[in-house]
Amino acid sequence: MKIIAAFEKTKEISYTSHLDVQRTLQRAFRRANLPLAFSKGFNPHPKLSFATALATGYTSAGEWIEVELDKELTPEEFTERVNAALPGGMRFVSAFVAEDGFPTLSKLLVAAKYVVTLYTDAPVTTEDLRAAVDAIMQSDEVIVEKKTKSGIRPANIRPEILEAEAISASDGTAIVAVVGTLNAAGGLRAETFARALFERLSVNGRFTAHRTALCFEGSDRLPRLR
Amino acid sequence: MDDRTLDLLLSRVEKPARYLGSEWNMERKEAYDFRFALCFPDVYEIGMSHLGSRILYRVLNDMEGVYCERCYAPWTDMEQALRELGEPLFTLETKSPLKDFDIVGFSLLYEMCYTNVLTMLDLSGIPFLASERGESYPLIVAGGPCTVNPEPIAEIVDAILLGDGEELEPELVECVRTAKREGISKVGLLERLAEIDGVYVPSFYRPVYENGRYVRTERLDPHAPEHPRRRVVRDLDTAKYIGRQLVPHMQIVHDRVAVEVMRGCTRGCRFCQAGYIYRPVRERRKETLLTETRDLVTCTGYDEVSLLSLSTGDYSELHELLPRIIDDMAEQKVSVSLPSLRIDSLLKDDLEKMQTVRKGGLTFAPEAGTQRMRDVINKNVTEEDLLRAVTDAFTAGWCGVKLYFMIGLPTETDEDIVGIAELARKVSNAFYRLPKYKRGSGFRVTVSVSTFVPKPWTAFQWCAQDRQEEIVRKQQLLKAALKGVRGAELHCHPSVLSVLEAVFSRGDRRLTGVLIDAYERGCRFDSWAEHFKPDAWAEAFERNGLTMDEYAHRTREIDEPLPWETVDALVKPAYLKREWARAQEARTTKDCRQGCNGCFGEHCEDYCRV
Repeated sequence: MKIIAAFEKTKEISYTSHLDVQRTLQRAFRRANLPLAFSKGFNPHPKLSFATALATGYTSAGEWIEVELDKELTPEEFTERVNAALPGGMRFVSAFVAEDGFPTLSKLLVAAKYVVTLYTDAPVTTEDLRAAVDAIMQSDEVIVEKKTKSGIRPANIRPEILEAEAISASDGTAIVAVVGTLNAAGGLRAETFARALFERLSVNGRFTAHRTALCFEGSDRLPRLR
Repeated sequence: MDDRTLDLLLSRVEKPARYLGSEWNMERKEAYDFRFALCFPDVYEIGMSHLGSRILYRVLNDMEGVYCERCYAPWTDMEQALRELGEPLFTLETKSPLKDFDIVGFSLLYEMCYTNVLTMLDLSGIPFLASERGESYPLIVAGGPCTVNPEPIAEIVDAILLGDGEELEPELVECVRTAKREGISKVGLLERLAEIDGVYVPSFYRPVYENGRYVRTERLDPHAPEHPRRRVVRDLDTAKYIGRQLVPHMQIVHDRVAVEVMRGCTRGCRFCQAGYIYRPVRERRKETLLTETRDLVTCTGYDEVSLLSLSTGDYSELHELLPRIIDDMAEQKVSVSLPSLRIDSLLKDDLEKMQTVRKGGLTFAPEAGTQRMRDVINKNVTEEDLLRAVTDAFTAGWCGVKLYFMIGLPTETDEDIVGIAELARKVSNAFYRLPKYKRGSGFRVTVSVSTFVPKPWTAFQWCAQDRQEEIVRKQQLLKAALKGVRGAELHCHPSVLSVLEAVFSRGDRRLTGVLIDAYERGCRFDSWAEHFKPDAWAEAFERNGLTMDEYAHRTREIDEPLPWETVDALVKPAYLKREWARAQEARTTKDCRQGCNGCFGEHCEDYCRV
């Protein structure tokens, strides 16, 4: 059977990498004594996959995974047992049993929602922030230097931005909610969006990102875009 | 430290998980009145792999009211970030500065980490020299194998813990805690500490130098013993153990469950400091090991177990233990590895058994290329032993083997160097001689060569280390001799690092000045080739009027006073002298399981139970 579940990742361990999270989950599953299904071959490993990766340093309200089990287990039991075996900063918040033939999560993934917080080195007002967000949303092109496999090159990220809204700005802290495309081929990164905003605001600083949701299509059991 | 500052620091470094804490099984405490910072002067990945620290973390946290937290040397990017933000180095558990602790304890596993100790003190606003620290600073202590020659760091720490820490550390904590409650002065505390068996308080001793050489040590305080002794835990079955082993987020060097099967080694290899300073051998019962392995696997979720000791193949019940552990673990798809197999103790059945779970790398350590040289170092392994073992392994499906050697050993000639290549050739031939259907493909014989470093408390403690030019010549000779050996690959440990290691392992107190000078010239992480700054070290020696040559490349007179003999590592100098004499005649000494060789002298009955 396949269980599909979402966990939150909080500030406490936001600076672990995707690989770290993978390892942590695998070990937590073993500690929870889950009836894991293993891949065949010389190095058997549990059949666990992620809808997508979360960048190191980000927090999230719901990262979705799917895991194959050899025996039946209720979603409640899964959540309870695994949560008792997870280190601080990670906790499953929902789970369900996928019916046979349920598609792979990464194929259903379409978008992600973020709250991006900018810590600016010069004061920014809510009006400034609103204007910057509007400027981005009204342009056809938002060019940002983007790291790709073939080096750093300018890229237009505007098509990846679905929605953006200025929430508030005060005391050098500016908060924006943004929805961006995300699927197996790629999508909006909170980091590039933050850079575009810094540029529009003509300030420098750093940012943190919290993924509030992953959005899927093709199933009612997963969070949808709208 | 507030969240925002922490976030800022973490966002600036390459591997933030090193500083995060919050690992599974991390100790969380609310009520405590005594704080111990367990410090490891190297990066997280290395420090977290250290078995001794895992044990101490548990032993200390099992004490009522004591909270033991961990701190590792910050990598250079974190050091820079801390300096730029003016923030102190912090512990992983509560993100507290080291200054807030009652005791700051360093584990000293190798000499090349000494500059990192200074980094950690510096980033904590703690003065380097014990004499410059008043009452308000934490007590700075150090333990670990390096302390068998504590002199190079003797002016930095307040107290040194010699030998096994399981019983000693709680005694230290109780003593400091009582003194704190009673409001005793630092000197008063040190006097009490000096009375604990296994504690060396360096400020109560003064080394005397004449004509630029160490001649004797004067004892300054009647509370201090003449020769503080190394502590030995007699029974490792009843001793407190790892308990809930920490499971890191990031990958560490030894990322698996570690089970110590025994401490000490009976072989008596003459170059091996560990072989001398962990005596006597103490085996743990196989029932203890089975239970511990099961418990550790359950509470960590690891899928790999390593059976640790200096020579696991010598564990007397290995052939009963190994199949049981392997069967036990196979059910849970957990693999079992033995990191230190003895060539002569390896059995084909064990190999095949290990193969059924997961095939790890296979490593043997002949250490020297000719029988004469192996007899000199008392590595009682023959060429036949090795060839039989590798043939067994190749037949069982292994198609790669790693061989460890040392060059620069006492009495070594070019013939011994060429002998290394010859041995590799025979191993290679052993593989290709097997019929094709019986052997794997992609054969590799990796010849890994390090430079011999003479260590205190060994039979070779009087020997000069080969000079660098000579080592390089020998490496080239070996490289040439390995030409045409099918599948051979040569790895040589850079010899410049070995010189500094030789200096500090047999150094005296005058090196403290050099150490601080080198640190101020930017020396950090000296065991990492990319950080090692030979020029800065050379300048530091010159500034202090000392030479590396004197420490590394000079043969000590057999009756010369040795600075490390202020402490008593239990192994008797007379025994070491006998061993050195035999080495020069290429005469071996039997494994002490086959009869006592008298290494503890008149104290044999007190310490040794073999």
